[in-house]
Amino acid sequence: MASLPAPVRGVFPVLLAVGVLGGLQVVVGQLPFFVYLSSLVGVNVILAVSLNIVNGMTGQFSIGHAGFMAVGAYVGGKLALEMKDLAIAGIPHGVSDQLQLLASLALGGVAAGVAGFLVGLPSLRLRGDYLAIVTLGFGEMIRVIVSNLEVFGRALGLSGIPQTSSFMMIWLCVFVVVLVARRIQDSAHGRSLLAIREDEVAAEAMGVDTTAYKVRAFVISSFFAGVAGALFAHFVPIINPGSFTFVKSIEVVTMVVAGGLGSISGSIVAAVVLTLLPEVLRSLFLQVGGLEGGAALAQKVDQIRMPVYGILLVILMLSRPQGVFGNRELWDAFPRWWGRGWRAEE
Amino acid sequence: MGDLVQHLINGLAAGTIYALVALGYTMVYGVLKLINFAHGDVMMVGTFGAYAVARALGRPAQTSLLGVAAIFLLAMGGCALLGLLIERFAYRPLREKPRLTALITAIGISFTLSYGFQLDFGPLPGAAPRAFPEIIPPREWFVFGDRTVVIWNWQVISLGIALLLMVALQALVYRSRFGRAMRAVSFDHRTAALMGIPVDRVIALTFMLGSALAAGAGILFAIKDTVVQPLMGLYVGLKAFVAAVIGGIGNVPGAVVGGLLLGLVEEFVVGYSSSSWRDAVAFSFLILVLLVRPSGLFGTVTAEKV
Amino acid sequence: MSTPLLQAQGVAIHFGGLKALSGFDLDIHPADLKGLIGPNGAGKTTAFNVLTGVYLPTAGTVRVAGEVVNGLKPHQINRLGLARTFQNIRLFKTLTALDNVRVACLSDTYAFFSRARIEAARRRSSKRSGAAAAMVALNNYVDWWRALLLTPGFQREERALTVKADALLDVMGLLHRRDEEARNLPYGEQRRLEIARALATGPRVLLLDEPAAGMNTREKADLMVLIRELRTRFSLGILVIEHDMKLVMGICEEITVLDYGETIARGNPERVRADPKVIEAYLGDSYLAAQGMRVPGGAG
Repeated sequence: MASLPAPVRGVFPVLLAVGVLGGLQVVVGQLPFFVYLSSLVGVNVILAVSLNIVNGMTGQFSIGHAGFMAVGAYVGGKLALEMKDLAIAGIPHGVSDQLQLLASLALGGVAAGVAGFLVGLPSLRLRGDYLAIVTLGFGEMIRVIVSNLEVFGRALGLSGIPQTSSFMMIWLCVFVVVLVARRIQDSAHGRSLLAIREDEVAAEAMGVDTTAYKVRAFVISSFFAGVAGALFAHFVPIINPGSFTFVKSIEVVTMVVAGGLGSISGSIVAAVVLTLLPEVLRSLFLQVGGLEGGAALAQKVDQIRMPVYGILLVILMLSRPQGVFGNRELWDAFPRWWGRGWRAEE
Repeated sequence: MGDLVQHLINGLAAGTIYALVALGYTMVYGVLKLINFAHGDVMMVGTFGAYAVARALGRPAQTSLLGVAAIFLLAMGGCALLGLLIERFAYRPLREKPRLTALITAIGISFTLSYGFQLDFGPLPGAAPRAFPEIIPPREWFVFGDRTVVIWNWQVISLGIALLLMVALQALVYRSRFGRAMRAVSFDHRTAALMGIPVDRVIALTFMLGSALAAGAGILFAIKDTVVQPLMGLYVGLKAFVAAVIGGIGNVPGAVVGGLLLGLVEEFVVGYSSSSWRDAVAFSFLILVLLVRPSGLFGTVTAEKV
Repeated sequence: MSTPLLQAQGVAIHFGGLKALSGFDLDIHPADLKGLIGPNGAGKTTAFNVLTGVYLPTAGTVRVAGEVVNGLKPHQINRLGLARTFQNIRLFKTLTALDNVRVACLSDTYAFFSRARIEAARRRSSKRSGAAAAMVALNNYVDWWRALLLTPGFQREERALTVKADALLDVMGLLHRRDEEARNLPYGEQRRLEIARALATGPRVLLLDEPAAGMNTREKADLMVLIRELRTRFSLGILVIEHDMKLVMGICEEITVLDYGETIARGNPERVRADPKVIEAYLGDSYLAAQGMRVPGGAG
């Protein structure tokens, strides 16, 4: 990274990612189950990394992330439904699909970002416990409002959203959110966020506009939650309010806490493990147990997931509250030129 | 007019139940400065306990005065024990840690209880709602006009029990030595310890008390709604928390006022619009209070020392 | 006399019934080195908090560089040229020494609008003016994009920040601790790091809250030299809260004495040292009686 000329350093990783993922897409696109699984993982990684920006980097504990995911899913999904029969002349179907998907993602993300602004601005004056509870309240409010609106299908939700999400698109979004998180972390802005986490009063005294920074972190975080939601809407057949409950928020919180508040790589690892584990177990049971017994056990996995998350949180807090990685990064252990990104002090 | 009165009564009935649960929240917050997220789920466990006892007694024992008393006492006692265990093993080790760590732990316990009880094996009840035995066989006690206003026996009894418990608690907190110790601990637990107050024991007893109250509230709830199910604790708990915050968390009379207010507003909103907005009431209240006056109606504002 | 860099006039702050500070006046001019002393609880740190915008004064005005700053947020007052350290060290514990200082470094290059243009817009109208605020907001927005896109301009700026921070660490003798987490530093170095961090905000006035607390004699002597040096090197006006009389008497040109929120004495070290009111505040009136002195106008 450090050996690249300065003007190119910024965009190079993205171009590289597009290339690599495009290649992978060709290979992997033929395996629907793998694509589905990796899509689930990808969405959760985006949720966890984006939540980490607020909870981990800025130290503001928000537990209403699912609300922003819902905003993105519903707004993006609704746009996709409206655009379903639109076709852009002269462009192959596959490409125009992806363009429509991008439009949905963009709109969903922006809508969620706006929601984040509206929620964050008044809420971020509160500290600690109270902030957590008010974000919970907002998350639930969003869900209740959505489930009462005719345009979003009320309790039944939206169906028929074109399932245009692809392996490449999801992992490109994952790549972007991780890149954004890292670049923030290694910049003056990120340092200001960390300072707010460490000691808000001192940060304010040193010239950091703490309110503005907190709100900005919140908006960026909810933007990506919205993108994750919009992606989600494009690979599941139906979205309804039940997919975006407080339970989902706590799932994401568990991932961030388990990985380590403040560690981007921690959030990624935790999201991957916690998403894959139940899926792997479920498939295992179905395969091994045969149709009858296997299905019963597989269902058990689903049920057990939530109490296990609960117990996991308790055990973590009692034994290792800093999570697996604390606030360090996996890639700090790598050699300098590989995956460390650009930093001024090196 | 008749409608109004009916809503008023229903709202008060629900409100007193919220108030009971809110009292538990507020007491625990007072001594521990912790929002015990798991409080509602402890209530749920207590309600299931009452369910089991009632079923064990069978008819007609479960409707007798002795039977009902037994149901209440056993459920409340069981919950007190549960509260004791939770405090001892999950919260006490975290007493000197940042409040957020304890909050996350509380959320973890809440989920473990509520979703754990949804599982289908062993003694765990499973997700399906179950009919709560009619330990107070419903009878209309007062009917006004031609059924414009109906007051049920269980509503009156429920109100009575709730008021009894609240009065007892008030006496305990403000007129007894233990109550004084509780309040001392809630101001500054280190100084209280230096003054010879057994802080650990006070906190443990406070927990037990709050949990017992929650169990009582849960039973009243089950009588009102006629069903029990494992997720009942989550939402009731959250709403009771809102009630506690409205009144000023840590403030005992405030919790009662908050509970009644929430119950009434919820009832009126649902009565005059649609039931799908029920939950929105609590959340709107929550957001409003926290943003406009976080210290609640009766709470005190504390400034941070720089 | 030129405009004072920092000026408090009749500042008072009440917390409910408690008058933490009343009738507080203070002037800091360039190259001033003044002290603020008084028994514990006299209101010294409260005074700092009011001056830096943490508390809103109940009465009186605070001016920084001639502008009234009542009601401004601490970060805005900091940007006007007032920096402080804290009585109980408030470093960013898990950040490195370098990062602690870098957080406080103000950018010298702004994304769109130069600092001069923003200042000009601000002076043209009230400090809450829309134009200046809009410029700052736009700057910030563009700045975030520059960071995300890792533009060459951003890279240059980061390097410049780092160079500046390194220089400050060097001045405070902390360069060898550059990559060490702040919480791992020995106590004396932590106090110096706090000063380095405050200096990084580019202030004209520096408020030091008990900078020598917990230091041994040698460190205190070094600190005295350091404070004088900082005054010259960075052209600062400095106000020090301290309990160590030797230090205060040793470096301060003028000392203000507080007791129960009120100013009971002000003057050069000799005057203040001999003032019976000051002696009574610190040692009690029984001491005075034993010395055969009386508090003017008081009991005794």
